[in-house]
Amino acid sequence: MSKPMIVVRDVVYDYPASRALHGVSFDVEAGTVLALVGPNGAGKTTLMRCVAALDAPLEGTISVAGLDTQEDPRGVHAAIGYLPDFFGLYDELSVRRALTYAARSRSVSEGDTPKAVEQAAARVQLTDRLDARAGELSRGLRQRLAIGQTIVHQPSVLLLDEPAAGLDPEARRSLSDLIVRLAGEGMTIVVSSHILAELEDYSTRMLMIREGRVAGGGVVAAGSGQSADAGFAVSFTDPPKDLRKRLEKLGLTVTRLEGAEAVVGAASGTADAEVLTLLVGAGLKVSAFQPARRTLEAAYLSEAGR
Amino acid sequence: MNPEFQRNLWLDASPRRVIWAGVTVLLVYFAVALLSRDSGHSGDIFTGVGIAVFVACAVLWAGRAAGSSVLTEVAERTWDFQRLSALTAWDMTWGKLFGATFLATCAGLTGIVVYLLAAQPASPWLVILMLAVALLVQSVSFMAALVGVRKARAEGRVARPGGIIGGLIVGYFLLSSLAASNALKLGGLRPGFGWLGRQGLIEWWGVTIPAEVFWSISLLVFAGFALAGAWRLMRLELQMRSEPLVWPLFLLVLAAWVAGYRAGPIGHGASVAAAGMAMCLAAYVAAFVEPADRVAVRRFARLAVQGKASEAARIAPAPLFPLVFAAILTLISFGVPTEGFATVYSPAALLAFLVRDLGVIALFRFGPRPQRGDFGAVVALALLYGVGGIFGRVAGGPAGAAFFMPSGGEYAAFSVVSALVQAAIAWVLAAQRIRSPETSVSAPPSGPASAPA
Repeated sequence: MSKPMIVVRDVVYDYPASRALHGVSFDVEAGTVLALVGPNGAGKTTLMRCVAALDAPLEGTISVAGLDTQEDPRGVHAAIGYLPDFFGLYDELSVRRALTYAARSRSVSEGDTPKAVEQAAARVQLTDRLDARAGELSRGLRQRLAIGQTIVHQPSVLLLDEPAAGLDPEARRSLSDLIVRLAGEGMTIVVSSHILAELEDYSTRMLMIREGRVAGGGVVAAGSGQSADAGFAVSFTDPPKDLRKRLEKLGLTVTRLEGAEAVVGAASGTADAEVLTLLVGAGLKVSAFQPARRTLEAAYLSEAGR
Repeated sequence: MNPEFQRNLWLDASPRRVIWAGVTVLLVYFAVALLSRDSGHSGDIFTGVGIAVFVACAVLWAGRAAGSSVLTEVAERTWDFQRLSALTAWDMTWGKLFGATFLATCAGLTGIVVYLLAAQPASPWLVILMLAVALLVQSVSFMAALVGVRKARAEGRVARPGGIIGGLIVGYFLLSSLAASNALKLGGLRPGFGWLGRQGLIEWWGVTIPAEVFWSISLLVFAGFALAGAWRLMRLELQMRSEPLVWPLFLLVLAAWVAGYRAGPIGHGASVAAAGMAMCLAAYVAAFVEPADRVAVRRFARLAVQGKASEAARIAPAPLFPLVFAAILTLISFGVPTEGFATVYSPAALLAFLVRDLGVIALFRFGPRPQRGDFGAVVALALLYGVGGIFGRVAGGPAGAAFFMPSGGEYAAFSVVSALVQAAIAWVLAAQRIRSPETSVSAPPSGPASAPA
């Protein structure tokens, strides 16, 4: 298990007339893409702002990259990139100047800034727009520039609050690809949304927040990170009538069985090939075999039902 | 170069804006030269025009730009991005303040050059005075914008330039009306307000100083405090912890500055009364300027109860400091004669009514609709002093009036007891509102923040 990059303990946050977070605790391991999900008004944005050291909780502690948000807020600011749900850009600046300012104001040295700007522009695919004014960009390109500004200093943690809101399908796909690329480079990413479908492609873990509390089982595997634990989806040709019994006899757990389609689970650590060999060896005619993938929505509903 | 300063230059001093400003200023001087060439007083005219251009550009235009440098960020939703930068609070402060005002200040400085060339003779102290006024106005505008942002956030709304300018104007009129009150006249502050436009010599702590020298140095000192105050507020915006230094130090300097007017042949009692009145005014100003942040007050109370004095002091409500200083000065006043002041206003009664008024202000500002808290508090205080005072006088003469207003002489004790009872009621009610139970989950635009600079 890798070291937690974000540690949240017993966080309570009050607005003047209401309590937004009621003792929230969870860990996020390094390299995780965490989907922070929950209905509107659940406290996701408040939690993100506390993790970003923009607001201080009434009680509890938050540590990001080993830094306490209340003891060293500026250290946390330097370690993270945060894109709020409603962000603004300096419309009169060119993309190059906007990225240059972002880099310089985030401690990138003057000498390293041009390279950092080029890299950030390339990562968000804005290299050909470096001399365009930010105000001239489309919604999707503005989103890319905003993300470019948040990653120009190579943060170890990226917090994205409803990043796909208002984007067209093409821009959403582009954003999804970008998040997958950043995750592949080792960045720990927390993405909040109440639209589960948009988190499906890239999130590896899920945390559900409801009414200011952690719901379900805390941080659980979900989305693209779910496959290893969710079992295997198997299709059979001419399945025997006692298929369930035969599968269970093989030591497999039958999660779902509908006609010739089944989802089976094996003991932790069992390789795909071992399970397939077991099935074929038992005389079952397997026409399709693949790791099962529990959708984020299924995970959400499962956790919500706890 | 400071990235914040550079960004402001990119936006504010773009070649097009520089050309427009330059051409406009040159046209003004050219027009004045044309109109005054046959007048025989062109030197005097250019002296006045130079000062006018400086005031228009470096004071008014730059003052507005200084405030906008923060408010525009909030309005355009770039403020959080800035707060997440790695810049120090001081870099953010001077980068914004001097970057956003760079063009306006440069245009204004041409007025100083014109003044120096035209005035016969030019006064170096007047130049220093003008520069001090410009720095003071710019810093106060910047600080007011930061205060406005913090107040608005605590009240669940977005800061608007109109609201902040309106607040400054209303605050100015309220302070002016207080300055014209009998209490301030007796307390020795009213002459101080009157000396703003005074020429000739000023006697301060027994030292005679030319008025323009006194005001130049005084304004430079206060401009320095305004700049330091802006820096401390910026630290709070960046979630940095600050020891309570600038605000208490400013109060001490203010008390000494005000007391200096009444020192000398009149005696120390008058100085103490003047300093005490200044602290009372500062407490009222702080009570309205402080964000109405119940969470911060709860946190302060929790730390204070736990005995964590240094941590509590960092987030202590701003009015607490002038209140403590006023209390100390009240104690001192018992040991020194305050001449006619004490017979009209007992210092203890003034302090007790200040405690009551702070409770009333807290009661309204921590109400269910904090957006209307300031207005409600002003109306409540006006009713208590106006209607209550009249009712008390009609019903019970001077003794009745002492129930609603601070009194001295034989009614002082009655006035003190009455004020303390009212203060207790106001604070109990305010405490209930501050402790009011959390209801449902909601998410205002961003969280609260409150602490003295």
